[in-house]
Amino acid sequence: MNNAIEVKDLRKEFKSYSSRSGLRGAFRDLFTRNYKVVPAVNDISFSVRQGEMVGYIGENGAGKSTTIKMLTGILTPTTGSIVVNGMNPHKEREKFVRTIGVVFGQRSQLWWDIAVQESFRLLKKVYKVSDAHYNEHMDHVIKTLDIEPLLDKPVRKLSLGQRMRCELAAALIHNPPLLFLDEPTIGLDVLVKLKIREFLKEINEKYNTTILLTTHDLTDIEALCERVIMLDEGKIIYNGALRDLKDKWGDGKELQFQFLEKVDLDALKNLTIGMPVKWELDEKEHIYSALLEDIDELISQVIAKVVEAFKIKDIKINETSTEEIIRNIYEKGTV
Amino acid sequence: MMLAYRTNYYTGILIYSINIGAYYFLWAAIYSGKQHIEGLSVTQMTTYVAVAWMARAFYFNNIDREMAVEIMEGKVAIELIRPYSYLGMKTMQGLGEGIFRLLFFSVPGLVIASFIFPVKFTWNPTVWGLFGISILLSFFINTLLNLLTGITTFFLFNNSGLIRAKRVVIDLFSGLLLPMSFFPGWAQDVMKYLPFQGISYVPSMIFTNGFSHQQAISAIWQQFVWVLVLIVPIQLLWILAKKQLIIQGG
Amino acid sequence: MFYASMFFQYVSQYVKTRFQYRANLFVEFFSDLLSQAVNFIFILIVFGHTSLLHGWNRDEIIFIYGFFLVPFALFSAFFNIWDFNDRYIIKGELDRILTRPIHSLFQIVLERMELESLLGALTGLVVMFYSGSRLGIELKWFDPILFIVFVVGGALVYGGVFVMLACVSFWADARTDIMPMMYNISNYGRYPVDIYNKVIRFVLTWLLPFAFVGVYPAAYFLGKKEWFSYAFLTPIMGVLFFVVSIFVWNQGVKKYRGAGN
Repeated sequence: MNNAIEVKDLRKEFKSYSSRSGLRGAFRDLFTRNYKVVPAVNDISFSVRQGEMVGYIGENGAGKSTTIKMLTGILTPTTGSIVVNGMNPHKEREKFVRTIGVVFGQRSQLWWDIAVQESFRLLKKVYKVSDAHYNEHMDHVIKTLDIEPLLDKPVRKLSLGQRMRCELAAALIHNPPLLFLDEPTIGLDVLVKLKIREFLKEINEKYNTTILLTTHDLTDIEALCERVIMLDEGKIIYNGALRDLKDKWGDGKELQFQFLEKVDLDALKNLTIGMPVKWELDEKEHIYSALLEDIDELISQVIAKVVEAFKIKDIKINETSTEEIIRNIYEKGTV
Repeated sequence: MMLAYRTNYYTGILIYSINIGAYYFLWAAIYSGKQHIEGLSVTQMTTYVAVAWMARAFYFNNIDREMAVEIMEGKVAIELIRPYSYLGMKTMQGLGEGIFRLLFFSVPGLVIASFIFPVKFTWNPTVWGLFGISILLSFFINTLLNLLTGITTFFLFNNSGLIRAKRVVIDLFSGLLLPMSFFPGWAQDVMKYLPFQGISYVPSMIFTNGFSHQQAISAIWQQFVWVLVLIVPIQLLWILAKKQLIIQGG
Repeated sequence: MFYASMFFQYVSQYVKTRFQYRANLFVEFFSDLLSQAVNFIFILIVFGHTSLLHGWNRDEIIFIYGFFLVPFALFSAFFNIWDFNDRYIIKGELDRILTRPIHSLFQIVLERMELESLLGALTGLVVMFYSGSRLGIELKWFDPILFIVFVVGGALVYGGVFVMLACVSFWADARTDIMPMMYNISNYGRYPVDIYNKVIRFVLTWLLPFAFVGVYPAAYFLGKKEWFSYAFLTPIMGVLFFVVSIFVWNQGVKKYRGAGN
């Protein structure tokens, strides 16, 4: 089976201009400008199989959007090669974009002033979708996303969550085999997020649609993607299963205690002196957490000591969250 | 910051010069040998055109359009909770841009134009002083009219047509295209009761010595009165607009 | 024809949208009429002080203005791209355009059209008939055909120049205010070019050929034989400038995709 996306030694450089300071500097800028070349994407290679759902994550400015823009044919790479759906995105642009769907979470694809269904109708013509195809495919999409009652409203009157569901439907009008989602759940409430995730899973199963997703919300990735590609300063620092990342990095556990009476943090520290435990206190919730390695013996020892000394209201044992793992990785800079 | 826009800068000066040039030839053709029309010589007319366009760079701004966008996108609600007057801030922003354009744009443009075309400067400091006061007042008149148009967005929702209409009216009735003295007598009488000629006609006539000292002083007083008069409807509409904003929640 | 059918799709959407803001539509009609009236008043006032403008009389100048309004209306209806830089480059709307399978310039033309400007063509025809009848112009059978050819040529000249100006945004380092200033210059094609000196005449004929939108083609209908050769150049200049502008546009898009924003 062919790969949906095949990227090799991809590099994108931007010229970044800097202004000189002061009025004299401004005058000199009139004649010559200072600039330096900054690589936003720095020689990355990866591939995505047809039907895979991949999370593309990184901090702001890590080069996520630049990569997506190159993969969708908006930007041309400085060097390196891209093959998406068997084509070079920046050659034969018009033919290529018929095979992809794009959703930019921060930017609307729909026409602001006209009813949603009119936007759909227009896009249907733009992508030359036949009536039969449209009806069969979109009826299902509209039902699953539950946007039937929104169809006759103009986009400007929709809430963000409603709009986002319509955006998603609009990107799927031509039933593309590959879908790019740039921050699709930004600013949405939990229910809408869940609905969107369910929907994405469903079309992935039904049509074997490949999905590349960038997001800040790691729960999206946990719910959807088998694989993540992690970017930092234009370089890929991790490319593999989310599971492995957890196994390798999430080796710590967290014990959360709530007590019936007020407890001094130092008292807890004294209690576990000599053991590899780090205590933290959430002052607002009165939750005391102990961070420690995932060793059964150690965990039971700590619990035993605490229970012996204080009256307990509640106890929890947590694995390190993905969020914490990712944060740790970025703090250290490598995997 | 704005000097960094160099394409803007060079083409701006070039186009300004071409503009004055084209008007010069048009007026030369209109005069076609006549010494004076309505008391202005062809040299005074050229100077009038050059100064009128230079002054326009100073008083002109897009506050009305910016306000319309901010109101439609609901950003005004945020501006209202900031610790300054929104209208005052807009005015000052326009003034800053105006002064910038005046210094870096109009003055060099005027100097270039004066080398090519018979533009005549006066060296009388009194005239320069009066001119300075006058264009400052014309800035305020024009800006107040812009604020007025901008505020109407609250009530009309989409007012791009109104903004366009206002611009056209100001270009003609402010005396930018034609000195008021060229209009038929009845039209001149009507114009006396409108604020528009305070925007372009008054400062340009002062600069070209088309006004006597007495005329200049009284024209400036009229400008000043118009500034005061225009503040009233703006404040009223602004209070109404704020009320509406609170009721509708932006 | 895919592009023709897309055109009509967008037009029907456009009409629906416009009727949502009927009041503003009305004000826009009015402001268009007003700006046409302002230019008309300018001509009337000028001729209140002189009888001939370099050998052209008042009705001839009015006729040129009437002619000018027709290609200008076509241009304003379809090349409403004066805020291209703000809307598409700075706000990044061009990215969306580039993910759709239609030529980028054509999409922008479709998205930004302002069909109400076409009303200006009607005003122009009325003005032409008024001054034409005062001048006693007689029409030959092929004149309406030539009129259409000249109008389309003129609109293409305009479109070509303004598309090229929009393209400046692809290369310029920041926003430019050239467009609104250019609207002023474009007005000078409405007056007989022989009133200008050689430099400006050259500019208006070959560099920013706005004379082909007004005085040159109108001179044909006014029977000014000395300008006939220029009049017949109108469609050629229109096609030439428009083709070049599309070429420049494509280069600009290529540059944009290379540099990003």
